[in-house]
Amino acid sequence: MTGPTNPASETSARLGAALAHDSAFKHASGEAVFLDDMPEPRGCLHAHLVLSTWAHARVTEIDVAPALARPGIHGAVTFADIPGVNNIAEAPFEEPLLPDALAEYIGHPLAAIAGETPALARRGAERVRIGGDPLPAITTLREAYERQHWLKDPVEMKRGTPETALARAPIVLDGELEVGGQDHFYLETQVALAMPQEDRDMMVWSSTQHPSEVQHVVARLLGVPQNAVTVEVRRMGGAFGGKESQATLIAGIAAILARKTRRPVKLRLDRDTDMIVTGKRHDFLLRWKVGVEPDGRILAVDMDLAAGCGWSVDLSPAVISRALSHADNAYFYPHVRLRGLACKTHTQSNTAFRGFGGPQGMIGGEAMMDQIARTLKIDPLEVRRRNFYRPGTERDLTPYHQRVEHFRLPDMVERLVASSDYAARRRAADAFNASSPVIRKGLALSPVKFGISFNKTHLNQAGALVHVYTDGSIRLNHGGTEMGQGLYIKVAQVVAEVFSVPPEQVKITATTTDKVPNTSATAASSGSDLNGMAALRAAETIKGRLRDFAAERFDVAPDEIVFDNGMVRAGNYSVTFAELVEMAYVARISLSSTGYYRTPDIHFDLKTMQGSPFYYYAHGVAVSEVAIDTLTGEWKPLRTDILHDVGTPLNPAVDLGQIEGGFIQGLGWLTMEELVRDADGRLLTHAPSTYKIPTGRDLPSDFRVEILADAPNDVATVFRSKAVGEPPLMLAISVWLALRDAVASLAPEGYVSHLHAPATPERILNAVTAARAAADG
Amino acid sequence: MRTDIRFFLNGQPRRVRDVAPHRTVLDWLRLEGLTAAKEGCAEGDCGSCSILLGIPKATGEQLAWRVVTSCILMLPQLDGTSVVTSEGLGVSVESTDSMHPAQRLLAETHGTQCGYCSPGFAVALAALSRTKERDGESIMDMIAGNLCRCTGYRPILEAARALPFIEAPPKETAMATALVTDCAEPLDYKAGGRRFTAPRTLESALAVLDEHPDAWILAGGTDLGLRLTKHHEEPECVLSLVRVPELHGISRSEGETVIGAAVSYTDALETITDLAPSFGDMIRRIGAAQIRAMGTIGGNIGTASPIGDSLPPMMALDAVVEIASRRGRRTIPMHAFVTGYRKTVLEPGEIIAALRIPTPPTDRLIRIYKIARRYDQDISAVSAAFALDVADGRVTRARVSFGGVADRPLRATAVEDALTGRDWSLETVRAAAPAILQSISPIDDARGSAAYRNAVCVNLLERLWWETAGPDDVPHSLDALGDAA
Repeated sequence: MTGPTNPASETSARLGAALAHDSAFKHASGEAVFLDDMPEPRGCLHAHLVLSTWAHARVTEIDVAPALARPGIHGAVTFADIPGVNNIAEAPFEEPLLPDALAEYIGHPLAAIAGETPALARRGAERVRIGGDPLPAITTLREAYERQHWLKDPVEMKRGTPETALARAPIVLDGELEVGGQDHFYLETQVALAMPQEDRDMMVWSSTQHPSEVQHVVARLLGVPQNAVTVEVRRMGGAFGGKESQATLIAGIAAILARKTRRPVKLRLDRDTDMIVTGKRHDFLLRWKVGVEPDGRILAVDMDLAAGCGWSVDLSPAVISRALSHADNAYFYPHVRLRGLACKTHTQSNTAFRGFGGPQGMIGGEAMMDQIARTLKIDPLEVRRRNFYRPGTERDLTPYHQRVEHFRLPDMVERLVASSDYAARRRAADAFNASSPVIRKGLALSPVKFGISFNKTHLNQAGALVHVYTDGSIRLNHGGTEMGQGLYIKVAQVVAEVFSVPPEQVKITATTTDKVPNTSATAASSGSDLNGMAALRAAETIKGRLRDFAAERFDVAPDEIVFDNGMVRAGNYSVTFAELVEMAYVARISLSSTGYYRTPDIHFDLKTMQGSPFYYYAHGVAVSEVAIDTLTGEWKPLRTDILHDVGTPLNPAVDLGQIEGGFIQGLGWLTMEELVRDADGRLLTHAPSTYKIPTGRDLPSDFRVEILADAPNDVATVFRSKAVGEPPLMLAISVWLALRDAVASLAPEGYVSHLHAPATPERILNAVTAARAAADG
Repeated sequence: MRTDIRFFLNGQPRRVRDVAPHRTVLDWLRLEGLTAAKEGCAEGDCGSCSILLGIPKATGEQLAWRVVTSCILMLPQLDGTSVVTSEGLGVSVESTDSMHPAQRLLAETHGTQCGYCSPGFAVALAALSRTKERDGESIMDMIAGNLCRCTGYRPILEAARALPFIEAPPKETAMATALVTDCAEPLDYKAGGRRFTAPRTLESALAVLDEHPDAWILAGGTDLGLRLTKHHEEPECVLSLVRVPELHGISRSEGETVIGAAVSYTDALETITDLAPSFGDMIRRIGAAQIRAMGTIGGNIGTASPIGDSLPPMMALDAVVEIASRRGRRTIPMHAFVTGYRKTVLEPGEIIAALRIPTPPTDRLIRIYKIARRYDQDISAVSAAFALDVADGRVTRARVSFGGVADRPLRATAVEDALTGRDWSLETVRAAAPAILQSISPIDDARGSAAYRNAVCVNLLERLWWETAGPDDVPHSLDALGDAA
């Protein structure tokens, strides 16, 4: 199929230019306005949540009267105060905004209090009397898995006859891997401001990736039609998936309190409350049997992927679906069964987080590769090569029955092996380890193949709205949200390219549900693919009208009209873009258009877990080298080389930022970010004093990142670019594998380290101790 | 007595009355409409609320610039300083477009993504721009207190490396002089029935303490700030020791170094590094630049936390705590100062005046270890301090102390006995393991299990051996590995 190709030359100041983020200077100066920076409306109240102190309990009493009796307190909300339907989940699931009977985790919001200041609201909330009877609780994934405490029925993704193939395989290996969760730790915590309007309408400013869902949920909670609620978001201070579904809780409570008090209400969670209340990346427990040939080629895989979902469904089924569809990563499994298990625990309801289950599935596939290589005493890189998909052969079918096409990894791997000097450094690390008693080095390569498109097909649609004013200035709006990923500037570059005007001529505006309706979340890395294409179409529509008008006015054929760097040429005539626009206006030509896009050629059956859910794949490869201290388990990233595929970048600087930032976030997930709970299920790590995300010193001291050059997308995405938000996170699996490699150097060949994730110093030291014991025993 | 708080805010003189003294600087700034500084954690750990404080130097003619976290500062702590927020950075330099080079560089290197942390980074980089001598380590030290969740830091480091040195503009001298003159009288601030008093002599400070035995004693306030923002306490009276000159000196003689209790980590760093470089390395890992600028040695000792990082090294160095009260002065050895979980020998009316540290012999083996999940800005899971004299391959004297392994930091005399008089060998190290395990009683918590802490304490003694006696053709620590792969 064909589509627009990249017309930009290397000198284009628009498409493919490394323009700064549209707000970069405002960010640095502090002028960029985040929700909590907005001047508060007159009479604004502040809300504070009342949280469950039980992991699981029947709530018998919620008495807000003592709070309301305090000065400066103006309202309270419990389940009984919800005017509409008390459900914030997408059908067919149900999740109450505030529960009427059951508290299901420590931190479960049971009520909220509105007061004149945040401090007064807090003091008020402390006075709310909660009565209840504790019930038995399951607070760990392992217990939920072992007791089959499912949130919904298990799902299965299957191809071939794995049982038979495993029975016949010459070698069968068992494995298990614990993969920890991760807090989003967006620097801006969850926040919403709701302001009542005329006619029971509600204006909501929400820090959310999904304004349409917030709009729909608020309307449902208030019992008003969706057209009575407007949700706007100019920018978020980071989101990473955490402000997709979970933003509805914050906005919903603010909106109901606003309705009740008839005053604007702001709910901003402080860091501790945010971490105690909101969901995180799902932790996973992976268990597998893999049948292999003596040369390391996989014959069959049977894997359980158990996800710690927390107390409610939220987005867990979709997360599990993506985990299953990434457990193969880059490798062909001739016979395969993947079982997705949604484990219910009495903890925060886990949710979307960059990668959306993909990373947890993928690390399972990579752990299997590591295990096969170590057990069979074959170089892990070689085992990976032998198992790669081979498009055009019988080894090209994924577990979900989509054929792998345009597979760039084998070539990219060889390029990075060469440019990173992998072989020589492998020998050097081994030589170092042979003579080093305390410090050990590890080296590993890992590839990433990540499917692009929402697994749920209907979400793959987007809308945009473009206005051209009579002075030639352009105003752009689309359904995508800006959370720091540079979506706004990328889409503005697309529109500027269509009209061939400088990007500064395109005004970027806040995402709001009254301009573009029924949008999908800005998620699944799809932001620029979907919204860029919708905006392109809106702009092309206007451009088409302008071209037709100019052809008529200047009496030339439409294909002789050229938009070129702010000028429009029509045969021998040449006018500025603004002049043409003014003429078109006078001639009564519409200068505004919507644009709409839906991704073609995709389908997926959630029941059979089969189909072609992904429009294309994004690829990346990383080689990481680390050193560990075998006395303490401390470690250090020494060097990482990355080669990543973004198709033809719309903005290489923005894409580079996504690659580097995603990698470091993945490094945090797999090494230092640990969610620790006590025996009751109480989260102990709920602030940066105890929950450690990477700092500047945690990036590899030698960090070489390259964007794959001259690699336009093989399918017709917007100017042949590729999605980049999530895939780079998984490049950090190379760091985790390098840590395992360093540990393995302590044991005889053939030893497989059972280092789980996150590989904290404590886990590394335990793995060291186990490896040394194997060496001694 | 002066009853209003006086400072410069982005170059403009300000006088504040009637704001409750426990209002945090961050909250106050944002209510003033200065919203560049943002709340990310309210515990001084993320740097999004960073601002600059220009503190008049002793000469009174220059400002020493410190980056601090405004979320855990009380408003009266601004008294006598020049406060610069990200909004004011451009004004603080000669700039054509009202932007500071730090801000322009952050934007140009693509060092901002979501932008929430960016004003805090801009402030940290602006502080760095005043430093002439910089290397990779000092750059890292300056930004380690600022978390960014988007960029992965590479572009921010690039901005930091490209940052020009910026001289203090002449107007700063006038500002420093004005601050010294305007704030000559001691502050005794009252608002909303609460008091914040900052006496200028030790005698008057001790008098306040007698009058208000429950007063919060504030030096840097990095721990007290958390009582405001995390425990939501509201103090009746805060006694600030920041302006007490007797608590500020550092004096060094041949036999002894004396560090005043209210000396900040930042100001003590050079002296401590001279005493024992390894101790200096540890100080550089306490909190981050923001915390070290405010937090004090005396505060760290007085808080008496089991994971107070300076206590084990002070024990190993045979430091003595000097205590002052209206009854006079007394001293007590560091290892006897802490009596229980956050409990000390201090009686009502007493404060820590100074730490007296004897000068160690130059050939003493001193190593201070901090083990944490993250190198920077993390609380120790375990810390250890060793000071060994080794003569002819034999240990002649040992001091061993640990942090994070009991209800208090402790000196492990049993371990010292297990080493003293024995060969400095791996055999001796391994034979000392039971003594280590007997000395400590760690617990499981969010930073590590008891088993991990036990194992690490034993292993750290072994690390000491490798570092001091092991073969020197291979590195024995990650630090020794250097930056190059």
